[in-house]
Amino acid sequence: MSFGFQLVHARPSRTTSLVLSWILFCLGVSLYFYTSQRRHHDNPEDRVMPTLTQMIHGMTNASTTPAEDDDSTAPDNASLRQKFFTSMLWKDTVATSRRFIYSILLLIPAVLLGLHMGLFPYVGAFWLRFILFFDKIVALSLLPILFIVFGIDELSKIMLIVIGVTPTIILDTFNLTKGVPDEQIVKAFTLGASDFDVAYRVVMRQIMPRVLNGIRLNLKAVMLFLFAGEMIASTDGLAYRIALLRRHMGMDVIIPYVLWVALLLFLVDLGMRFLNRKLHPWFQAG
Amino acid sequence: MALIEIQNLSVAYGKPARPVLDRINLSIDDGDFVCLLGQTGCGKSTLLKMILGAEIPNKGRILIDGREHHQPDRTRGYVPQKYALFPDKTVLGNITFGPEVTEFNLFTRFTPRAFSRRREIRDEAMRYIDRIGLHSRDAHKYPHQLSGGMQQRVAIAQALATHPRILLMDEAFSALDPGTRKDMQRLIRQLWRDTGVTVIFVTHNTQEALYLGSRVIVLAKDSPDAGAQVVTDLSIPQPCHEHQIPTLVHHLEHASGSARAPEIAFATA
Repeated sequence: MSFGFQLVHARPSRTTSLVLSWILFCLGVSLYFYTSQRRHHDNPEDRVMPTLTQMIHGMTNASTTPAEDDDSTAPDNASLRQKFFTSMLWKDTVATSRRFIYSILLLIPAVLLGLHMGLFPYVGAFWLRFILFFDKIVALSLLPILFIVFGIDELSKIMLIVIGVTPTIILDTFNLTKGVPDEQIVKAFTLGASDFDVAYRVVMRQIMPRVLNGIRLNLKAVMLFLFAGEMIASTDGLAYRIALLRRHMGMDVIIPYVLWVALLLFLVDLGMRFLNRKLHPWFQAG
Repeated sequence: MALIEIQNLSVAYGKPARPVLDRINLSIDDGDFVCLLGQTGCGKSTLLKMILGAEIPNKGRILIDGREHHQPDRTRGYVPQKYALFPDKTVLGNITFGPEVTEFNLFTRFTPRAFSRRREIRDEAMRYIDRIGLHSRDAHKYPHQLSGGMQQRVAIAQALATHPRILLMDEAFSALDPGTRKDMQRLIRQLWRDTGVTVIFVTHNTQEALYLGSRVIVLAKDSPDAGAQVVTDLSIPQPCHEHQIPTLVHHLEHASGSARAPEIAFATA
């Protein structure tokens, strides 16, 4: 049956695709400001849907003045740059980024473990069953236990991310390693390679672009666990601020913060994609 | 003494055991060009994997230079049909990989001596690239940028770069178009004559086997549940005359097709 136009074989022009892809953004933004306008018309004190002016004001404050609970204040005659580096937004971003970087660094041993499990049968036999079990534990359900065991400082938050994300990365790397054709490994041995040459110079280099893509897909999970930890027990960080501002309905800062986090994550993802292309020019997806 | 000695080799896979090879006895001399011929699924690739050491036989043993090998190593080079090249390395990187890992381990490759030696290895690799008929500007291409025939050329150069005594080729030309295939057959004959390497070449193409081999071994099964055995072992007169090929093809195809092998008593050089 035909509708008179093609669906699968449709060929929208460049302009049409561009226009189509922005429609939902425009619709969402205009709907928001329309509703916001209406609410402020009815009640000038409305805090649920701040106007653009209010959000700009809130963010200007957040990026030039320290948080209320922060003692270190910039001198009154400080430059804008100095003000920014003592501001609430900057300090929160630094705190969250630090935790994020630690968690990404902790994924390196996970990748190495997955590689060895996939390549060396003894290592695989030792770890695989345990990791499969570990993978099924709902990491957030461990949160109270982590707070009891590790206290409520940095360690427990990082442990939450490790427990939540590393099993996925280990198993992903394991499967990728298993997926390397036998011919490649046999070939490397016939060329005089040792077991470790095969592991690091043949197999690891081949799976690396796919591993990086796997990590990119898991960035959201990393952020999810990081935010859960920060919201429940922390004294700084972007998610801590969002949770704190919720108490006095600081939507004028919460909404820009959410967008800021999305932007940061987008940039990290973009950076990793760029890095992947630069490091592995031979790799074509698919 | 023979270079490769296969003694009473039997292989079975799975449960219940399904025999693949049944009591194979062969001895292969240094400098032979042996073609293993047989129909699809007759176990010729399995036999190659056993010689390679990638798989372990259920019964019997394989001696290379009088010694058993339990995993693949530098004595036997390998050119498979697919996945022959490392996709993450350039043509040059693929060819130098063997000599580099042979001489340097993960740590010593960063010593000053390694750097100067690496330059020599690279120069030698460039000579190989020239010899297999590639342009020197192809040296920095990645395998996916090359045609199938070019990839197999590089794979052969890569295998020969470590100077193995034995070269094992598993349907190495089967995925190539006829013209390229002919060129590759000429190339491997030439390299075999020049280097004196012992070649074991698995193929299902009778003409290819006759054109290439100095010796053709046909594997076939008595019945579908039986393991394959050597049904014909033929030495090809050197050089093999074109007009002899049709008769030989007829004989060999009869041999690998039917269960019982006819006695072939001619054609020793």
